[in-house]
Amino acid sequence: MSTRQEAAVEVVWSALHRRVPLATAVVSLAIAAPAGIGATRILLGMDLPYALVAAGAAGTVLLVVVAAYVHGVARLRTTRFRLTAERLELRVGILTRQHRAIPRDRVRSVDVKADVVRRAFGLAVVKVGTGEHTSGESAELTLNGLAAAEAESLRRTLLSGVAARESVQEDGGQAIAGLRWQWVRYAPLSIWVFVGGAVAIGAIKKVLDVFGLDVFSASMAKAAWEWLIANPWISVPVVVTGSLLVGLVGAVGLFAETWGGYRLEWEAGTLRVRRGLLTRRSLTLETGRLRGVVVAEPLLLRLGGGAKVRAVAVGLRKAEGDESEEVSALTPPMPRAEAVRVASRVLHASPSPVAMAGGLDDLRPHPKAARSRRVRPALATVATLAAAMAVADLLTGWIPAAAWALPLIALPVASALALDAYRGLGHRLTGSHLLTRAGSALRTTVALDRGGIVGWRIRQSFFQRRLGLITVAATTAAGDGHYDVLDVDASEGLDLAAQAVPGLLEPFLLRRES
Amino acid sequence: MAEVTLRPPRNLADPRAIAWWTVQSFLLAVPLAAAAVAGYWFFAPHSPALGFAVAALAAACLLLAALAPRACYRVQRWEITDEAVYVRSGWLTHTWRVAPMSRIQTVDTARGPVQRLFGLADVTVTTASSAGAIKIEALDHELAAELAARLTAITQATPGDAT
Repeated sequence: MSTRQEAAVEVVWSALHRRVPLATAVVSLAIAAPAGIGATRILLGMDLPYALVAAGAAGTVLLVVVAAYVHGVARLRTTRFRLTAERLELRVGILTRQHRAIPRDRVRSVDVKADVVRRAFGLAVVKVGTGEHTSGESAELTLNGLAAAEAESLRRTLLSGVAARESVQEDGGQAIAGLRWQWVRYAPLSIWVFVGGAVAIGAIKKVLDVFGLDVFSASMAKAAWEWLIANPWISVPVVVTGSLLVGLVGAVGLFAETWGGYRLEWEAGTLRVRRGLLTRRSLTLETGRLRGVVVAEPLLLRLGGGAKVRAVAVGLRKAEGDESEEVSALTPPMPRAEAVRVASRVLHASPSPVAMAGGLDDLRPHPKAARSRRVRPALATVATLAAAMAVADLLTGWIPAAAWALPLIALPVASALALDAYRGLGHRLTGSHLLTRAGSALRTTVALDRGGIVGWRIRQSFFQRRLGLITVAATTAAGDGHYDVLDVDASEGLDLAAQAVPGLLEPFLLRRES
Repeated sequence: MAEVTLRPPRNLADPRAIAWWTVQSFLLAVPLAAAAVAGYWFFAPHSPALGFAVAALAAACLLLAALAPRACYRVQRWEITDEAVYVRSGWLTHTWRVAPMSRIQTVDTARGPVQRLFGLADVTVTTASSAGAIKIEALDHELAAELAARLTAITQATPGDAT
């Protein structure tokens, strides 16, 4: 890519912070320590004198740390960036040189993150996102290692175009929500509490493996399993309680780490989320990119009266492997009323500030046919299960009498879920937004900006056709790409789509008075 | 309340599409049927019941390959107005796609090797949504090129980045 001459000449290239190599070296200890321990184990097995073993282990650790440090220095030497009047430019690459540039008016989100080590060194990582959806190569620039203050000022400058338009004071963002520690009570209301114990045991085993302690040897596992089978009345409660306790502690810990210091504010034409106890994160979203909000209520959280809010925004990256929360998350799990309040405040600040009468509830229910479409498959599944068991019993006679409790329990559970899924269905059109709600295991209420709808995808399966139902999906550049009004009455659904985006669908509709 | 339905888009695919789809489906169905018959002939015991089943399977394959393209041709329809692209497809599950001109991001035409023998081309229209592209299949290749040019001209004239 060739650099343009105008306006770019006088802006000097700046480098990353000089403490970057040191921070990289410290981070590398996470790899160096296990490597050292591994080396110790191998050397011990070779019958060498202890001094030599110690030297070998120390050498391994040193090698890793020095390699990390050298890599850090190379990165520091080769990475240059500058912010010109038009674009943010980045030159990276130790072996392959890369020159990347993002036009400043394409910058849609700025993500500032600092983990424990980087915070100790006063560093932060800045990720600048554009609204690009398509290209396989990530359309974001990462500046790994700026001074925290520099990162903050870069964040402000990059989004200052918005600030200038809105003519709002730079400081003093208007708070929408802040953390209340009593919300931690919602943290355990997740599936992780039930599987957390098993995950934790797996993690501990892995760590012990590294140290060469094979606690869970095959014979021991077998013995433990036999004991568990032999004493079900003691073992089942103990295992379940233990697993729940570990899961509980894990969930609370995760909540604290993810949401400690949480603050959501409306700042000069941008929406800013700050959170994280150890690893600090700050995500700034240009509100021009906001297309709506999602109020998500996973089943357990819903039963506990809680909900979470996510943003529907253009150009948000996907969560990476080490992130426990989606990038679009605007709130921790919180009381539902509070979540609805936050959601409507975020919506009001969005480009079409029409007040939403009735909030996010008060939706139109869907026809009874949609209920049959949920209850029938649920009943059919249970019936199939029972039939399969009956056949197996006839053929082999191996089905114990107690196993018949399974379909008996499954019947009310499946029916309840099906009815709950039906009750969840609903939609409404407000002056500015299309509201749609669906789901039982994960109920989501979406408020999608009508101006953000880039088309329709309307589907009718064979069974829907017989029941007079239709699924109307509004496609959008933001979030999941499409948001569906599921199993709505065919006429009503088409009418809804026609009204939501005036003029788009109308020419293709036939209206017959009945 | 008035009953609201979607009217089908005005245009069908090019009639040559039936021939193209038939060739394509036979390319798949003939080897399948042949394999079944060959398997029966060389490896299986020659029982009348099995023979009948294999013959039925082979016949069904060929029949489906002959009829499916005609069914496809009847359900796949498209229309381009000054404001929007409108496409219908699917046989058991009907799918209608509508995208306004102002939100179209890219327009592509594509021609496969067999398709080229029949002088056909596909037009693919994408919007900023990740919900998938809108595909108009099996148009006369000159018509496809003309449509693509027209759509490109309209979308370039629209300001903004169509999100």
